[in-house]
Amino acid sequence: MPEFLEFTYEKFTIRVAGDCLYSDEGLWVKLEGGKARVGLSDFIQQRNGDVAFVEVKPVGEVLRAGEELAVVETIKVDISLGMPVSGKLLEENPVLEITPETINQDPYGAGWLALIEPSDWQGELAQLMEPQVYFERMKLQVAREME
Amino acid sequence: MSFATKAEESRKVNVVPCSGIGKTYGSVSRLAAYVVTEDLLPERTCLVALSRLVMGDESAREAISGSPAITIDGCSLACATKMVRESGGELAGSFAVLDVYRRHRQLKPKGIAELNEAGEDLARVLAHEVVETIAQLSNVPKEGQHG
Repeated sequence: MPEFLEFTYEKFTIRVAGDCLYSDEGLWVKLEGGKARVGLSDFIQQRNGDVAFVEVKPVGEVLRAGEELAVVETIKVDISLGMPVSGKLLEENPVLEITPETINQDPYGAGWLALIEPSDWQGELAQLMEPQVYFERMKLQVAREME
Repeated sequence: MSFATKAEESRKVNVVPCSGIGKTYGSVSRLAAYVVTEDLLPERTCLVALSRLVMGDESAREAISGSPAITIDGCSLACATKMVRESGGELAGSFAVLDVYRRHRQLKPKGIAELNEAGEDLARVLAHEVVETIAQLSNVPKEGQHG
């Protein structure tokens, strides 16, 4: 798997990180020593525009998959993002309070959203998409939206 | 209170807002530019449409070339700022609607053709920040001439 899968449509080049899994909503999830780091995919950040504010649920909250993890306000919309997997919220990215645009600048790196302690990683793994699957789905979505 | 010198008085400051039609933040940038050039400092400023620079309009490029310009961008693409630089303008200040909104979160802009009240207020706040910058450039009264 390459570091990134890339798709260019007109002036937009969208990247899908090859070392992450993806939720239906387009959050990426990366397992790091039993903890899951979570962020917005490049597609989601480009589609929704410059981020104005990010509000993540308080650290320590235990949430089920699909329950609201964060609200991201961009210049276009307010997006409610659900937990990609169930678990306890261990950390939120402190950088986003001062410079929320980091999500736009580095969605798979410094712009991460939260760190989660998954409660049933193996059981919920099937709900997440492999990068190639998410990549194909994203391309279809782009094609539909550009019609 | 100090005033512009004669030499400075003869150099109008060009105000170049975002040309993004159908975008809320673009609308805020344009309204702010109208407030500056029509209400607050009509004799010290000149509105230049970004689209004229993009189209290579000679009179717009002449107006920009060698004169101070203040840009008001609607998003991080910063088209107004880039275009002023490319057109040989002397960038005296650059504003982004999003930066001002982050400092005034209660003024959440909505609407496109017709901004909500908060959006109009945000544009006025932004316009006053532009006037502050112009005042620092040329020592004109900060209140503006018709403000």
